Amino acid sequence: MANNQPIDNMTGERSLSLSNVPVPEHFLGFGLGLRTEHFQDVLNDKINIDWFEVVSENFMVDGGKPKHYLHSIRELYPMVMHGVSLSIGSTDPLNFDYLRKLKVLTNELQPEWISDHLCWTGAHEKNSHDLLPLPYNDEALNHVCQRVEQVQEFLGRPILLENVSSYLSYKNSTMTEWQFFNEVARRSGCEILLDINNIYVSARNHDFNPQDYLNGIAKDKVKQFHLAGHSDYGDYVIDTHDHPVADPVWQLYEKALQRFGWISTMIERDDNIPPLVELLAEVDTARNIATKTLGSLG
Amino acid sequence: MKNDEKNKSKYSVSKLSLHSLQQQMMNYLTDDKSAVAQHVVEHGGISREARLHIYKNAYQMRFKETIDNDHQILGMYLGDDLFDQMVSGYIKAYPSNNTSLRNFADSLPTFLANQIPFKDYPLISELAHFERLLMVAFDAKDANHFTREHLLEMPHKHWPSLVFRFHPSVQIAMFNFNSVETWQALKQEQAPEPAKQAANIWLLWRNNDRLTQFRSLSQQEHHLMTMMLNGHDFASLCDNLLSQSPNEDISQLALNYLLSWIDDGILASH
Ligand SMILES: [Fe+2]
Repeated sequence: MANNQPIDNMTGERSLSLSNVPVPEHFLGFGLGLRTEHFQDVLNDKINIDWFEVVSENFMVDGGKPKHYLHSIRELYPMVMHGVSLSIGSTDPLNFDYLRKLKVLTNELQPEWISDHLCWTGAHEKNSHDLLPLPYNDEALNHVCQRVEQVQEFLGRPILLENVSSYLSYKNSTMTEWQFFNEVARRSGCEILLDINNIYVSARNHDFNPQDYLNGIAKDKVKQFHLAGHSDYGDYVIDTHDHPVADPVWQLYEKALQRFGWISTMIERDDNIPPLVELLAEVDTARNIATKTLGSLG
Repeated sequence: MKNDEKNKSKYSVSKLSLHSLQQQMMNYLTDDKSAVAQHVVEHGGISREARLHIYKNAYQMRFKETIDNDHQILGMYLGDDLFDQMVSGYIKAYPSNNTSLRNFADSLPTFLANQIPFKDYPLISELAHFERLLMVAFDAKDANHFTREHLLEMPHKHWPSLVFRFHPSVQIAMFNFNSVETWQALKQEQAPEPAKQAANIWLLWRNNDRLTQFRSLSQQEHHLMTMMLNGHDFASLCDNLLSQSPNEDISQLALNYLLSWIDDGILASH
């Protein structure tokens, strides 16, 4: 379903690729976060998009118009599901009521994969609905790994975790975020959704070198990239998803491509949402940078 | 590597458990308790208070935007100052315990019915209740609608024993004030009539085109619908109409009701 180009049975790679960098079988191409504002255009227009990501929680409803559109669009495009409420790092018990809803939606949509964030969103039965940073130490590492294993067992499939933007760090951290993230993936068997903008935002807020982050992540674990816009206040940067992708983030994307190769890439826009054509132009920019960096897909 | 060394030196050894750290962070977000600040790294051009405040500000804005989206007409009715007072009071009184923001403001009508100054104006709580019912109808479970074709396919002799089922989106709501009329006026950007007390009943549902609709119900129609909800068949509905208005053409009246329900998309097929 995901791969609409011929696959070489021997190598699992695309035979049409002119790129000298091998194209992994899970590569979906260049996608976009699906937003209600664009439902009608996505169905009506012939657009150059390879796949869509949907926010799982938005469709954990019983029925109605948005869900009707979702299923129509799913018939036309590959999809991945992206959640914001797993709260994998929380010390509250795992929310199996939520996980059951996630599983139902997974069965309905048959996504290529499902993802959530390396963070916690609430504790003591209160939900902040924010992606709050964890301390990066052994206690948190053991806690997260054990919960990822439980979630993957319940869902019957590996999940992807995404790095979040953060504005503070804790004194009881004993390792860097990328050491922590990489270790979570290695030990729990989860895969990685690398948000290039979030690396840039956190690097600015915590004064680290974003290239160190990229270098610290195992090459074979990354399955998806996010690209998004932010708001730059000089002393700090906030991950607002209400602007086009900024130039330094495009530059970091190029570096990420050089390290990780062909990775399914998409644009995330959540606020100040422009007409679909404007976002498609950003997707084209990502496609062009990837082609320039890695060669032609053929 | 060099960067890792630099980072390490910033961290003092602290044995604070993950559980306590999360408790303190939530206490900061929900109740302004500042104990968590001592565990935050002081670094670069912005203070740790400013760093924490980014999260606090996002916490409040996120819930405010959610209420604003769900309750646009209520917002117009209250005006900015009262709306802000409602939002900050509600966020404190009903912190989210759900994984979806869709449900965050579910208790807003209850909050407004019990909190000064809002409780002195019961229309405010009713407006909020009406807007939440619109949301319920909007994303309620899907079902095929019962159509005129379905009815005609049925042999006439079976009509009396037909038991109709409502579409899952159907909501019946009673109000004590002219709340729905007020909502309608504001929606059309007109000045609403002053609040006045009068019992009224409304029907809300999602129609054949998946659009949310509502209309008022007479006592008679409401009574028939209550009977349907209790599983009474079409013959019982007709008997009831006959007992109320013995001189009318009951079969025509009953058929008119039935056809209007079918055409509105209120009934679900079996
Ligand atoms: Fe992201």
